[in-house]
Amino acid sequence: MSEKKKTRGLEHIWSKWGWVFISLMLLGIILFVFYPIAYSLYLSTFSTRGFLKTFVGFGNYIKLVQDTYFVLSLKNILTILVIQVPIMLFLALIFATLLNDPKIKFKGIYRTALFLPAVTSLVAYTVIFRVMFSNDGLVNHVLMFVGIIKEPIRWLLDPFWAKVTLIVALTWRWTGYNMMFYLAGLQNIPIEVYEAAEIDGASKTVQFFKITVPLLKPIILFTTITSTIGTLQLFDEPMNLAAGVVTGSSVGPGNSLLTPSVYIYNVCFKYSPNFGYASAISYVIVLIAAVLAFIQFKVVGERE
Amino acid sequence: MKRMFVRILVVLLIGLSALLYAEKAKITIWAWDPNFNIPIMQEAAARYKKINPDVEFEIVNMAKADVEQKLNTILASGVKTGLPEIVLIEDYNAQKYLQSYPGAFADLTKHFTWSEFAPYKVKLMTLNNKVYGVPFDSGVAGFFYRIDYIEQAGFKPSDLENITWDRFIEIGKVVKQKTGKFMIAADPYDGGLMRILLQSAGTWYFDKSGKPYIANNPVLKEAVRLYKEIKDSGIAKEVSGWNEWVGAFNRGEVAAVVTGVWIIGSIKAEKSQSGKWRVAPVPRMNIKESVNASNLGGSSWYVLQNSKYRDTAIDFLKKIYARDSDFYQKILIERGAVGTWLPAQGGSAYKAKDPFFGNQQVFQLFSEWMKKIPPVDFGVYTYEADAAIMSVMPDVYSGKLSIDEALKKAEQQFLNSIK
Repeated sequence: MSEKKKTRGLEHIWSKWGWVFISLMLLGIILFVFYPIAYSLYLSTFSTRGFLKTFVGFGNYIKLVQDTYFVLSLKNILTILVIQVPIMLFLALIFATLLNDPKIKFKGIYRTALFLPAVTSLVAYTVIFRVMFSNDGLVNHVLMFVGIIKEPIRWLLDPFWAKVTLIVALTWRWTGYNMMFYLAGLQNIPIEVYEAAEIDGASKTVQFFKITVPLLKPIILFTTITSTIGTLQLFDEPMNLAAGVVTGSSVGPGNSLLTPSVYIYNVCFKYSPNFGYASAISYVIVLIAAVLAFIQFKVVGERE
Repeated sequence: MKRMFVRILVVLLIGLSALLYAEKAKITIWAWDPNFNIPIMQEAAARYKKINPDVEFEIVNMAKADVEQKLNTILASGVKTGLPEIVLIEDYNAQKYLQSYPGAFADLTKHFTWSEFAPYKVKLMTLNNKVYGVPFDSGVAGFFYRIDYIEQAGFKPSDLENITWDRFIEIGKVVKQKTGKFMIAADPYDGGLMRILLQSAGTWYFDKSGKPYIANNPVLKEAVRLYKEIKDSGIAKEVSGWNEWVGAFNRGEVAAVVTGVWIIGSIKAEKSQSGKWRVAPVPRMNIKESVNASNLGGSSWYVLQNSKYRDTAIDFLKKIYARDSDFYQKILIERGAVGTWLPAQGGSAYKAKDPFFGNQQVFQLFSEWMKKIPPVDFGVYTYEADAAIMSVMPDVYSGKLSIDEALKKAEQQFLNSIK
């Protein structure tokens, strides 16, 4: 009886000290995470211009629907989302499967080579892509030399090709990153499953679609959601592929590389500073990310 | 006795340390461009130190976007610290800052003789009859060309003086045909040329009352037509971004560059082309109001109202930027900076002949054109308007939209974005 009481007392003290220890951290989270979240929601009900603040209620959100730039930026990232993410994830899955094959030699080198892009600086790689894809850049030279094209492709000067360039760049940068998750996942699939399939006469392709993909489902879901969120927040790549124009007018040819994040930046710093409106855009992006994640959970997730 | 001695010692020590600690005024300055604004400000600081040795300077070099971002966030947050004494602001953005942050910048109206500065410059930093900045460099535009290519194509320098843009395109076609060189390098989605064109006719994206003036603006319509014409005529090498653009003329791929005077440094960077360049007035538009003089860019110094050493900062700008003619000669020769303090333009450097430009008196010419630049009110939304127009340009180029339709669409987009 008395012993029980003692432990309970101790637990009480423990939990008290626990709170003391994490209080600093909690304070930090409240100050730097919760407060900004709450404050930006509050701010999104104002139209601001520098110091000047006018309460507009839902005005900013209504304005968003009519704002052609915002709608355009959404269209831009949705195009990229629908095309780039599946290509990238499929490639990552293939690479991971190939590199998981115990028979393959120099696995370490291949894995490193494919993963290396993920550790390069976002700005540095984009700038290099920008140089490579310029009108008389390396890519056009090679393509013309090989004879695939006769005239240089206007990579960064045509709204369509600008998006293609962005997609190529993104795929180069992020495929290895996603491949790592798949590789980790593949380690957890017992080799016996494949051996059994092999004995039953299943081809490699069948094994890939009937064993690898279903068993990696949770990881595929994870990478899909993180890639979706990443695309929604796309900033560095379009900014560096498109900016730097003599006096900087549009983001990519005809704003074809305008993304919501770049638009937020412009609204805050390049245009007449409207932090209220920028907050509203941020909230809508969060909402879209949440909805997309929810849909993906429903589609891929197990019903448990 | 001993105690007395200790007391005296303590007092002395305190006095001494107070003396050592006697605060020196420290002026912090934010600016961009380590090849232009920064060394110019360093030169100014060195000169002021001779007048007032008790001042220290901290000249901070940041990218232009970073200066704007920092200024915006700190001003908007309402804190009074962390800002510099002096900040460089691009002229297109001046009114935006002045109107968005009332009271943030020091009113300099009484401190300077404004008639000594180029009027168009003073106008764009004036709000409610108060002047808030110290005019600095001019963005007076010029038509730089390669005399060797032009002569090879059969033209004389006099053929390029005071021409229209249509003539410019015709000459460009001949140059392309006879020399195989492009006339200019151009980014089809850059608004720089648009702004040169508009200002040459004293027009902007907004009318006198600040209302958007895009859809039915005949000057703008003509400007968009010229953009399309330049692209369709094939006289322009298409580039994307600053580096490719500068590379095109440094490598000798184009016969001309039409832009602000500040490009001289980049043109001269390619020393092997010395003597091959000349400069002429910018072409004008085929519109009655348009003249052979215009402007692109330019920036000015602003003093923060709540900065600690505000008065010293103002005194500094006054003694150097509004008094030291010798300073202006030096930055002109060393950096190609055409200042907008008019008395300096009588100085010797402005008359100097430049062998790089075949001994033309380049800066004499620029300061003459500068006086002819039609003043316009840049308003607060120049970049919004620029973006609105540039985002319809693909449809103009492809012919999907007529110019009228495109400008109507641009105005609608613009109106939505500033609502």
